[in-house]
Amino acid sequence: MHDDLFSPTIREQPAPGRPPWRPESIVYPAFFGGPLAAATLGVLNGRRLALPTGHLLAIAGAGLAGFAARAVVEGFTDGNSPTRLAGTVTGLLVWLVVLSLQRRPFRVVALRGHGPARLLGPGFAAAIGCGLLEAILLVVLVR
Amino acid sequence: MNAALHHAQALLATGRPEQALTELSTLPANEVTGSYAMQLRCAALSQLDRWTEVGDATRAGLAANGPDPDLLLWLGRSEHEAGRDPMAERVLLDGLALAPHDVDLLCAYADLCAANGQLDKAGKLVDLAAARAPQAPVVYATRIQLAHARGDDREAQRISREFVGVHPENPVAHALLGSTSAARGQVDAAYEGFRQAAAARPTEQIFAESAMELRVARHPLMLPLRPILRFGALKTWLVAVGLIIGLRAVGLPVLAGLLGFVWLAFCVYSWVVPPLVRKWVLRGWR
Repeated sequence: MHDDLFSPTIREQPAPGRPPWRPESIVYPAFFGGPLAAATLGVLNGRRLALPTGHLLAIAGAGLAGFAARAVVEGFTDGNSPTRLAGTVTGLLVWLVVLSLQRRPFRVVALRGHGPARLLGPGFAAAIGCGLLEAILLVVLVR
Repeated sequence: MNAALHHAQALLATGRPEQALTELSTLPANEVTGSYAMQLRCAALSQLDRWTEVGDATRAGLAANGPDPDLLLWLGRSEHEAGRDPMAERVLLDGLALAPHDVDLLCAYADLCAANGQLDKAGKLVDLAAARAPQAPVVYATRIQLAHARGDDREAQRISREFVGVHPENPVAHALLGSTSAARGQVDAAYEGFRQAAAARPTEQIFAESAMELRVARHPLMLPLRPILRFGALKTWLVAVGLIIGLRAVGLPVLAGLLGFVWLAFCVYSWVVPPLVRKWVLRGWR
């Protein structure tokens, strides 16, 4: 009855690469940097977690969709602050996608006894770099 | 049972693995490799994190005693610790072939499957173990770890509460309730769990360290961050962003701007202050 339970299913794992970041922590650069920062870190972390390509594409797509939504807000409203708010909201939504796809794989990695990598440096770099990139793209594309 | 074995077992139960090893070394040569003496030796070595020696000891024990599910359990665990998971699986399956209903073997195999991302199989294995011994500490611990790996923190905490209820004297139960409460942001419950665990087993460094980490979380400077810890970053943020948008919508842009500024400052605070407090509290301790 439980024959399948007692037959071997574990294969040799590839040697651990770079340790992943805690997916929960990506919320900070997502909040300050916007959708592209969240998606960039999400895809990089997804590679560290060895996610399937479909999941990586979903994260990248969510980032692009978030940025498109932000551009629409920029196009249809006056002033800076709705665009800024849209950046935060879409950033958080992209982070939700990242979290939903990476929480389990991250916890499995943690079960194997590997601690997370520090997100502080890459987080700042992504928030500032992608934030600036979005600002420039919005100016070039929408105005 | 031999008096030395009794004594070693008692030392282990109170978290004194080094003294237990000393006690075991007083056994006469023909008893050292006995299955039970070997199991105690492995348990002591594992508490000291000396897993290579656990592997060596079990191989010696298996050579002396022949196939033995309890020794295979320890060999499987040590192979898993060494990162040789396919080998660990083979050893644990050998053990399960001898003792298909052994709760420890089932749970060790479930752990191994979970660590390899096979959470469904791990769940079925632990269900088998739970059908045998629903209240065994190892079954509780494995179910909690599995719920945590699934990302189901609420269920993990629920099982931990049950574990503490059934085994109020077990320090591991308190420690697990502490860590599952911490995962849900319940700082005081988490501190209480680790405090009780550390009180029940003062020799276990990790319990004391976790209690200390939670003292960081209970520091007065961390009080403003309680909402984030308790309700999660997302809900707190949704409320704040909703308030800001709402104030703007009802025609109070100045108030909305002020709240937005306070909120931004709060976010920066939540990013910068925790590491500083941690450094400060732990320096006072070490």
